[in-house]
Amino acid sequence: MTSEIRQFLFESLTVMKYSTADIDDDTVLGPAGADLESLALAELSMRVEDQFGVRFDEDEAERFAAMTVGEFCAEVALRVQTTSAT
Amino acid sequence: MTGIGLVSPVGTAVEEVFDAVCAGRSGVVRPPEGHALHGVVEVAAFAPAIDAESVLPAKDARVVDRSIVMALRAAEDALADAGIEVGRDVDPFRVAVVLSGVGGLETLADQAVERSKRGRLGVSPFMLPGVLPNMAAARIAIKSGIRGYTSSVGTACAAGGQSIGEAMRILRSGEADVVVCGCTEAPLFPTFADAFGNALALARGWPDPTTASRPFDRRRNGFVLGEGAGVLVVERPEFARARGAAVHADVLGWGATSDAYHPATPRPDGSSAAESMRIALRDAGLSTGDIGYLNAHGTATKAGDAAETMAIRNVYGDDMPPVSSTKGVTGHMLGASGVVEAAIGIAAMRNGLLPPTHNLDDPDPACDLNHIRGKPLPVDVDAVMSNSFGFGGHNVSVIFGSVDG
Repeated sequence: MTSEIRQFLFESLTVMKYSTADIDDDTVLGPAGADLESLALAELSMRVEDQFGVRFDEDEAERFAAMTVGEFCAEVALRVQTTSAT
Repeated sequence: MTGIGLVSPVGTAVEEVFDAVCAGRSGVVRPPEGHALHGVVEVAAFAPAIDAESVLPAKDARVVDRSIVMALRAAEDALADAGIEVGRDVDPFRVAVVLSGVGGLETLADQAVERSKRGRLGVSPFMLPGVLPNMAAARIAIKSGIRGYTSSVGTACAAGGQSIGEAMRILRSGEADVVVCGCTEAPLFPTFADAFGNALALARGWPDPTTASRPFDRRRNGFVLGEGAGVLVVERPEFARARGAAVHADVLGWGATSDAYHPATPRPDGSSAAESMRIALRDAGLSTGDIGYLNAHGTATKAGDAAETMAIRNVYGDDMPPVSSTKGVTGHMLGASGVVEAAIGIAAMRNGLLPPTHNLDDPDPACDLNHIRGKPLPVDVDAVMSNSFGFGGHNVSVIFGSVDG
């Protein structure tokens, strides 16, 4: 599941015109790494919701900026599992 | 005024635009097959395509409206023309931006369609910076590092002229040394075009599209919707002198009034429009005889051209300068027209040549003005007036003076 989410994340970043060249699991999503600003993080959150059916609230989306790619994918995977289990 | 940047259906360089309006080289075409306006309107005036990534990083270029792309290009050209780098030549807090227009309505229309198709998830979080009418000013400020007063004027087709007036007000008050002012409009998409078409405001039935825009002509039957942007850099005269700037023209005065009559129809006697011209003359300290050329609003609607004629006659009487509307060539770029036409008026002073009204074959008796027809009129002039009137009854007149005058 996590690799599927990672692939979707990379595809989304490409559509959103962010470079994925130097991005790996340890890259932070926000300005310190992939450089996604607040609206781009909100768009990413919407894309994930659309694709995987999990929804984040505003506070959570703000936390994405400090997350690494690996942490983000793990968080989404966890949500997907929790959502499917309930 | 030290900088000019234009994006218009007849070019992006001032002299290119001026040559087109003098030569009658029309920017009006049939919307080509494949364009969203094909089959929606008979004619339109398209500005050149601009790659959004030429003015913004790719991630920002993806989410901006065309109106902002055109504004950024025009602003970049205007600042380069003025030779101003913000921060190097002027304190960022002493530069203002007044950049107007109706905003990114095509982005709004597209998002409304996505919303109805896909629900909440169809709406992009980037919609607001695409749609809001202040965003052209904001993007210019962000890109150029401008940190003074910024705003946007919302007076429809009068907004460009009014932005120049607001720039004057800001400079005179001492709030800024430099103002980047102008207007950008990107109305060429079906919903907006249909609104004008259904209001019976658009020219129709012309086999040759270049003949469709015919201000003041007896057979005129509406305006041709166009797109474009115009940005001017204006400075406090002392500031421009101190930095040794090359000056294109002086902005001498302006006036603004309201019809207080109807949301879409001009006051038939043109009395409020006349008053905006009188206020501009008083503000400039000039009399009617000092104005050597009048660039009319003249969109080619039946009511608008007739009302403007009444207004001009009312102000100038028999002391009327040569008059033309250059929209016969450019179409009507809504608020952006006022800025492009200001640039045309300045080029006319510089070249000693006044552009004619294209397609004015048979002047309407209801539009009895001192028309320039057929070919440009060679004459030296020291001051020109430019009129801009907008839906809602907004009237603006701006007067420019030659540097040698």
